[in-house]
Amino acid sequence: MLKSFNKKMAVFTAVLAGTAALGSASIASAEDTIKIALAGPVTGPVAQYGDMQFIGAKMAIEQINQAGGVNGKELEGVVFDDACDPKQAVAVANRIVNDDIRFVVGHLCSSSTQPASDIYEDEGVLMITAASTSPDITNRGYELIFRTIGLDSMQGPTAAKYIIDSVKPQKMAVIHDKQQYGEGLAASVRDEVQKAGVKVALYEGVTAGDKDFSALIAKLKKEDVDFVYYGGYHPELGLILRQSAEKGLDVKFMGPEGVGNKDISAIAGEASEGLLVTLPKSFDQDPANARLVEAFKARSEDPSGPFVFPAYSAVQVMADGMKLTASEDPEKVASSLRANNFKTPTGELGFDGKGDLKDFSFVVYQWHSDGSKTALTK
Amino acid sequence: MNSQSSTTLRWFPAFMATGALLLLAVLMLGVQLSTENTELVVYFAASERWHLILAGAVLVFLVQLFRNPISAFWQGAKKHNPLSPFQLPSLDDNKPLKRLLISFVVAGLMVWPFFVSRGAVDLATLALIYVMLGLGLNVVVGLAGLLDLGYVGFYAVGAYSYALLSQYFGLDFWSCLLIGGVMAAIFGFILGFPVLRLRGDYLAIVTLGFGEIIRILLNNLTSITGGPNGISQIPKPTLFGLEFSRRAKEDGNVPFHEFFGIDYSSGYKVIFLYILALLLVLLTLYIINRLLRMPIGRAWEALREDDIACRSLGLNPTAIKLSAFTIGAAFAGFAGTFFAARQGFISPESFTFIESAIILAIVVLGGMGSQMGVILAAVIMTVLPEFAREFQEYRMLMFGLMMVLMMMWRPEGLMPMKRPHLKLKDHQSDKKDDASVNRQPIAESV
Amino acid sequence: MPESAYYFIQQLLNGLTVGSTYALIAIGYTMVYGIIGMINFAHGEIYMIGSYVAFAVLAGLALMGVDSIALMLAAAFIISIIITSTYGFAVERVAYRPLRNSNRLIALISAIGMSIFLQNYVRIAQGSRDIAMPSLITGGWTFGPADEFNVTLSYMQVVIFIITFITMTLLTLFISKSRMGRACRACAEDLGMTRLLGINTNQVISLTFIIGAALAAVAGVLLGLYYGVINPYIGFLAGLKAFTAAVLGGIGSIPGAVLGGLILGVTEAFTAGYFSSEYKDVVAFSLLVLILLFRPSGILGKPEVEKV
Repeated sequence: MLKSFNKKMAVFTAVLAGTAALGSASIASAEDTIKIALAGPVTGPVAQYGDMQFIGAKMAIEQINQAGGVNGKELEGVVFDDACDPKQAVAVANRIVNDDIRFVVGHLCSSSTQPASDIYEDEGVLMITAASTSPDITNRGYELIFRTIGLDSMQGPTAAKYIIDSVKPQKMAVIHDKQQYGEGLAASVRDEVQKAGVKVALYEGVTAGDKDFSALIAKLKKEDVDFVYYGGYHPELGLILRQSAEKGLDVKFMGPEGVGNKDISAIAGEASEGLLVTLPKSFDQDPANARLVEAFKARSEDPSGPFVFPAYSAVQVMADGMKLTASEDPEKVASSLRANNFKTPTGELGFDGKGDLKDFSFVVYQWHSDGSKTALTK
Repeated sequence: MNSQSSTTLRWFPAFMATGALLLLAVLMLGVQLSTENTELVVYFAASERWHLILAGAVLVFLVQLFRNPISAFWQGAKKHNPLSPFQLPSLDDNKPLKRLLISFVVAGLMVWPFFVSRGAVDLATLALIYVMLGLGLNVVVGLAGLLDLGYVGFYAVGAYSYALLSQYFGLDFWSCLLIGGVMAAIFGFILGFPVLRLRGDYLAIVTLGFGEIIRILLNNLTSITGGPNGISQIPKPTLFGLEFSRRAKEDGNVPFHEFFGIDYSSGYKVIFLYILALLLVLLTLYIINRLLRMPIGRAWEALREDDIACRSLGLNPTAIKLSAFTIGAAFAGFAGTFFAARQGFISPESFTFIESAIILAIVVLGGMGSQMGVILAAVIMTVLPEFAREFQEYRMLMFGLMMVLMMMWRPEGLMPMKRPHLKLKDHQSDKKDDASVNRQPIAESV
Repeated sequence: MPESAYYFIQQLLNGLTVGSTYALIAIGYTMVYGIIGMINFAHGEIYMIGSYVAFAVLAGLALMGVDSIALMLAAAFIISIIITSTYGFAVERVAYRPLRNSNRLIALISAIGMSIFLQNYVRIAQGSRDIAMPSLITGGWTFGPADEFNVTLSYMQVVIFIITFITMTLLTLFISKSRMGRACRACAEDLGMTRLLGINTNQVISLTFIIGAALAAVAGVLLGLYYGVINPYIGFLAGLKAFTAAVLGGIGSIPGAVLGGLILGVTEAFTAGYFSSEYKDVVAFSLLVLILLFRPSGILGKPEVEKV
């Protein structure tokens, strides 16, 4: 009895919320813009990654507006700075809700996206992240949370498959940096290769920011491994490569996109030659995106960052969803995102029930000591 | 300083200081290291930087050159303008007025969130968390004079207590608030017990080490704490079982707005959190003020002023330090539990040394020992970055500089506390003023 | 020799290399503490500044086309020492001297503030990104079987050992033989008395900071070259570790700082080598706590009597 009463109340409140949304939509139409919050770090240590996301999203907003906007209205991007700090991310999310913005492209760091998405889901705001790769974000059965980038758990299997099929190591080691990104990847690679019967002799964490890995390298040498997978970012792997070369440890290394940065060659020099890296397809190299790349270059912006094109796509699928449903109700747009496929610069995108891309492919590259790379898989 | 030296120009020190400044600046501010492709390159910094350096050099040169006249002028100005440093007005004389004022302020703080935006209320909640932390650390640093650089460790203990207990045992916020505080206090006690025999500066380093150990352990014990992934979906507090969400998360629960038959508004949850934080801060203030007026609070301050004298008076320094340390830790535990509830997600990266440094900066800016000062400093520190985002970039630089300058000019803080002190009253009007502070004979006028 | 013996030797060498650099930084802490009884919290940042200056000099010379390694190294050492000494001197003058007679807590907070300030000053001036440089000195020796685990000792490691050893010897000679060194020791014994005897104690204290900063510069150049990567945050952890080393050996004692540095370095290497790298820092901090609990004066330190 109480339950059915609750249900009725829920329906009632949903209707109320609906009318409230309509009300706010009618206010928005008076302004003729649909606001999209762009949330990410403008300041702080990872601001350079935030930039990638912002230039991609802003470009998409501008081009969509040039093509006539959405449902007769223009899009307007509003930047919010969370400095990649979970505390500030919550504050930003609350301000976005407060300003009655119902669409968000962001945040960047998984640890910011996670607490912020709780609020968006609860308050009926549609969020698409173009950069957070932690599987946890979409694992909570939320309806309004999407992403246009691959997951750590997708990158792991790509790496593992390549290791099993092409590298075929006798005995390998998996090292990680004890951070969300690195450890998640390392665990997924370890599990996959162990399933295929590859022996993982060593699974160990190092401290991010550490400079001396000589003890670890001696250990790798003693274990006599012939292949090392590293889950983490370029500063630590760069040092490991450099010190391995000095200590006479001659094995092949592999890392995720977090190490695929020119700086790794600056740190490791010659030792970075032959490193294997899994990276998302370089969308800026795709001939289909040539015009878009030109548009970025015309504004002297760098389109090669890993989050530029996913952020562009995030805005685009949002706009397409609004066009398809002819509404700005986040819940309707969300169900339309799940139901349809969208043609974007990052390919034909479709979302699964959790809000992840159905298919996002990573490519294995071979790294060169001058910072360039060649693709080994398609 | 005699009158003769006040007119001499200090050529030699001026040249020396300017030379030193140039040495300091030229290879750090004046050049820019960078990586081009994979090569390390260095080039001269932008000309604004050089203008800045030159301006600084000229300034330093002039100040050093005319230092004597300047300081003479300064002394004179001080003499003519006997403006005593600003102190918080004491309302001790007028108890009813004080009570009235306090109740007005509290009522104002309670009503205020209903009239402003959700973002502002949320920001105020964050500020209140820092107020709580500042007040707690103030007990340890400001009152007992123990420099605790690992305070954030206890904050983490409180936050993780709630997160873990709710995840594994389904305990709710209210019982965890108590458990979080108690857990942090126990940690404070266990860690403090062996360490507090150490001298002040060793204590600083050891607490720093403890703070780091707690963070590293939380990060490494992946199977229990989720390691770097943290813990998500921490439930929000409920009001006697009423949830503040659009839909009840558990079957059988009724959301707050349905219970009262009002429209759902996302603002309620934020306001509820704010009022909760406010009540916690008031409770913290109340407890600390009671303690301060008790012998234990007197003993803290006495110990800070003179360790050896205390010992010779028969006070047990270790027990007194331990009580301050434990109580300070308990407040961090409360704040941590509340932080976990507000965030809904916690991970070890929220508990780094920088957090400890920020809380310490709040205590230092507010004035060690001054509660009003700490509250004001906490509010400034959290609200200022929101208004000036560019400030974010320079925030830590400012904190560091401020800590140095404050120690030099006003170690007692911007708003030093006027301590309750012994007063001889010439009329016997308030006899019912039972065992109040003013009668406590331990405290001498400061 | 069995493989495990080679492994042991390798980890010992690794630990000694790291330990020598801890020792170089630790001396700065120990000298200042010995004389004015305060922890110079900003010392780790001085080390970091030393690394930055060395990188700037090396990169500048390379751009100018200088290719003699000896010349580059000499220039990096000399310029880096000059500049960090100025920093050490300035930090003392600005942040510590006005507070010399105040409460220990006040001086310590000022020092922490200085450390935070310097770290962020470099971050704003040079950016927070890692700056990398290729190794100048490459190659090394290998001992043991070629097909099994063998011990490697790089030339750079040997350079670190030798320079640490030379610096320590010079410093010991300076402290024990020179006039200024004797003044330093007198100040460490009793600052007030030394002043009464007509020694300019302010000068001695400035000199202590300059020497400490110069040693930090040596460590900064050596470690910058050895690891090849610097960022504004390296000073914090290095400073913390070096301080641990100084306390371990007995703060105030120069041989103690060296011993403490070596012990800490070896302990870390063995923890990483025989247990797990994840717990390297936990073990280092626990070691500090244990030493302070059971022997607060450290291995070679004298027990301190608190004066009224």
